[in-house]
Amino acid sequence: MSEINDPAIVGHQTPRIDGEDKLTGRATYTTDWQVTGMLHGYPVPATIAHGTLEALELDEARAMPGVVDILHHRHFPELQRSPNSMKHGDQVSEVRLPFEDERIYYHGQYIALVVAETFDQARAAALCVRARYRREHDVRPGLLSGDAEGETVDDYSRGDPDIAFASAPVIHDATYTIAPESHVPLEPHVTLAEWHGSEPRLIVHESTQGIFYERNALARIFDLPAERVEVISHYIGSGFGNKLFMWPHAVATAAAARLLGRPVKTVLPRQQDMMSTGQRPASRQRIRLAADPDGRLMAIHHDSTSETSLVDRHVDACGGATPSAYACDNVATRQRLLAVNHGTPCPMRAPGEVSGIFALESAIDELALELDMDPLALRLRNYADHDPQRDLPWSSKQLDVCLKGAAERFGWAARDPRIGAMRKGDEIIGYGMASATWFAGRQPCEARVEIRADGSLLAACGTQDIGTGTYTIVAQAVAELTGVPVASIDVRLGETSLPAGPLSGGSMTTATALPAVAAATRDALDALQEIAVGPGGHFAGHDRASLEVKEGALVAKGQRAGFAEILARHRLGSVSGKGSAAPGGERRQYSFRSFGAHFVEVRWDPGISRLRVARVVSSIDVGRAVNPLAARNQVEGAIAMGIGMGLLERLEYDPRDARLINANLADYRVPVHADMPDVDVELLDYPDFRFNEFGARGIGEIGLTGIAPAIANAVHHATGKRVRDLPITIETLLDSPLIMT
Amino acid sequence: MQMSLSPPDATLTVRLILNGEPVTLEVPPQAILLDVLRDQLHLGGTKKGCDHGQCGACTVHVDGRAVNACLRLAAMCEGQAITTIEGLAEKGQLHPVQEAFLVHDAYQCGYCSPGQIMSAVALLEDPEAATDDAAVRDAMSGNLCRCGAYRNIQAAIADARRHLESNAQQQGRQP
Repeated sequence: MSEINDPAIVGHQTPRIDGEDKLTGRATYTTDWQVTGMLHGYPVPATIAHGTLEALELDEARAMPGVVDILHHRHFPELQRSPNSMKHGDQVSEVRLPFEDERIYYHGQYIALVVAETFDQARAAALCVRARYRREHDVRPGLLSGDAEGETVDDYSRGDPDIAFASAPVIHDATYTIAPESHVPLEPHVTLAEWHGSEPRLIVHESTQGIFYERNALARIFDLPAERVEVISHYIGSGFGNKLFMWPHAVATAAAARLLGRPVKTVLPRQQDMMSTGQRPASRQRIRLAADPDGRLMAIHHDSTSETSLVDRHVDACGGATPSAYACDNVATRQRLLAVNHGTPCPMRAPGEVSGIFALESAIDELALELDMDPLALRLRNYADHDPQRDLPWSSKQLDVCLKGAAERFGWAARDPRIGAMRKGDEIIGYGMASATWFAGRQPCEARVEIRADGSLLAACGTQDIGTGTYTIVAQAVAELTGVPVASIDVRLGETSLPAGPLSGGSMTTATALPAVAAATRDALDALQEIAVGPGGHFAGHDRASLEVKEGALVAKGQRAGFAEILARHRLGSVSGKGSAAPGGERRQYSFRSFGAHFVEVRWDPGISRLRVARVVSSIDVGRAVNPLAARNQVEGAIAMGIGMGLLERLEYDPRDARLINANLADYRVPVHADMPDVDVELLDYPDFRFNEFGARGIGEIGLTGIAPAIANAVHHATGKRVRDLPITIETLLDSPLIMT
Repeated sequence: MQMSLSPPDATLTVRLILNGEPVTLEVPPQAILLDVLRDQLHLGGTKKGCDHGQCGACTVHVDGRAVNACLRLAAMCEGQAITTIEGLAEKGQLHPVQEAFLVHDAYQCGYCSPGQIMSAVALLEDPEAATDDAAVRDAMSGNLCRCGAYRNIQAAIADARRHLESNAQQQGRQP
């Protein structure tokens, strides 16, 4: 592996190569695809959360204009379930097939799919489907509606936390909760399915973060060889985790298309998208910290419970980051799971850890106050300069640089730690901070690169760009190694006919895809060099090792031949290279994580309790940012989402019957332009070559971790009110000692 | 007597100016402008995000004003000028707002971008609209960007405003 030092293109701000298509409306998202003869599907959601579907009255809907068919439990083909294996690449979000039985497990579960000639005909008919249910009253409305603890699914411990707690002079013990959150990708979930031929081939357009997972799962479900299923996703209107794995609407749509012999497109209505394509589950976490009077952590206990559904088992592992967060000899974490009558939860940006870090980093702030220490100093005192969980060195950890640098830029030293002591106009100013972290991982990946006769290059990889900028960084990597401008590199992603690429998830795409793309680029250059030094070549008789690659040409001893000239001389349309890459033994030698620090200023008006985030200063250490323009955007976007998590977002389930009551964008509040504070994001540049030759660890999730606790800590500083339940709504501050009455 | 929810079968004729070209449409009376643009006229740039006027992804211009196309019946547009994102670039030249979005990376997934851009253009062309940052953020708050590229969008709008003003001054100086 050759480290890419002093790069010309990688690590430099690069406008997106797909930008013009997105900004002119030319980019075709799945919702935009149309094919001849296409029908429209519109699901009918269950209006209860727990019981049995007794009857469907369909006559009126069937008689509506344009209605072609209505699929439901008694009118649906016999299909097989997907094995649901992460390892075998066929994981799905919900194993239960659509309409599989007549049980209702959650509000919004599909009970029928209306198929009609136009979208508005399908919608009108869906609204005329009548269902009769037998409700059952032992409903489980949600983790936060009761005190059930659930079953233990995972635990970890080192040292002896109980002995430490028995002797510790200072103990903090508190419980934190986080409301369920909705991903709300602006493009709703959508499937367009078409079947071709008598030996059937299934082509599916899906707005997905994982084309290969969907392909493999569809192959199992429809009992087809995987090569006869193609999944396409060129542009994705974001995902944040709920488009990682396939949901039942895709199965229902593909089944309808096969049954009716015509393509069918189902765009989930926003309400159904929020009810039935996953959410960050609610969590309840108890954190216990033991410390000596100097602030050295003696023990950490982190007990978490998260929700799952009654049809599937999703574990949101809240304590994942805790064992490696601080230098502490005695640590125990436990994860419990409680099944409730909600749609199946799924990963949402920085799943598990972002929730755990809210609890842990709030608790650390509370401990600092109990110890009368600066929260920043307490974190530095317990700095883990190696990974205490795995007892390995970090590949590269610049958290201290992040903490000190961001504190400096923020002006943390000027903070008056007394509650409510800092004011401007009608508002009280609160300062808070927290650390950020997210694991760094990579997956196996394949890629292909072609050098073409017109001098352009093609790079192909079966991953997808969910808005993070994957198209552009692939072009940057190829440009870096060939000297061909980014604009002359045609990047193909989002088709399962391309070499197998990774999920767009876990902040792993950059570190996974780029080494494979680099290997394929080198292989293509190798093919070109072989031709150039062969009989009749521009460099016939030269040693291949003497050829340099410069600005789209091969160069040796003052002689230069452009890629296109070489291909033209040999009457070749292109040469092609393949590459693959996978994690190696490095994980046995090092622990890999990204780190960061967020400093937040809130303003709170004690007269009307108006609360806002006014300023965020962040430093982020992700190794090298391949495209700092898009990488900074990722962090700023994560800060916006963190403000949502901290102050706004809460899916509300009726505690009486578990019905989701705010499944729309007016009642479920996501941050808008007016919520966005002043933001100052610094991306550190410490390339992590122990991880890959690009030195990049990935950027998508780290920025979200730590924002909510930094806000909560700032809210305490401003109001004197410690809020341990997210979101922090202004009514919870009305009993602040500082409120003006 | 049971009221029928079935829509009437008849269609209406609607004449409008779409991206500068006269267009005559046959639409059912209940047809939504957004669905007509996308499904009937194959203009997919105007995005569908919620069908409830809550996300702004479907923003178009109706006689120069930013409107949620999902909240408007096509039949209401008789005689009106509709501009979509496809009609913004002129002769292949990006509109200054599109150019500014590109330079400032004012998007991530791009799904909300057509709506953001249409709102921004209408705002910049509105002589009544306040121009300070807070007013711009307020005016743009009907356009959700879940990726959270808000800072870059705001920077792009400020940049485009400077660009448009300097263009206007230059044109003013010419005879």
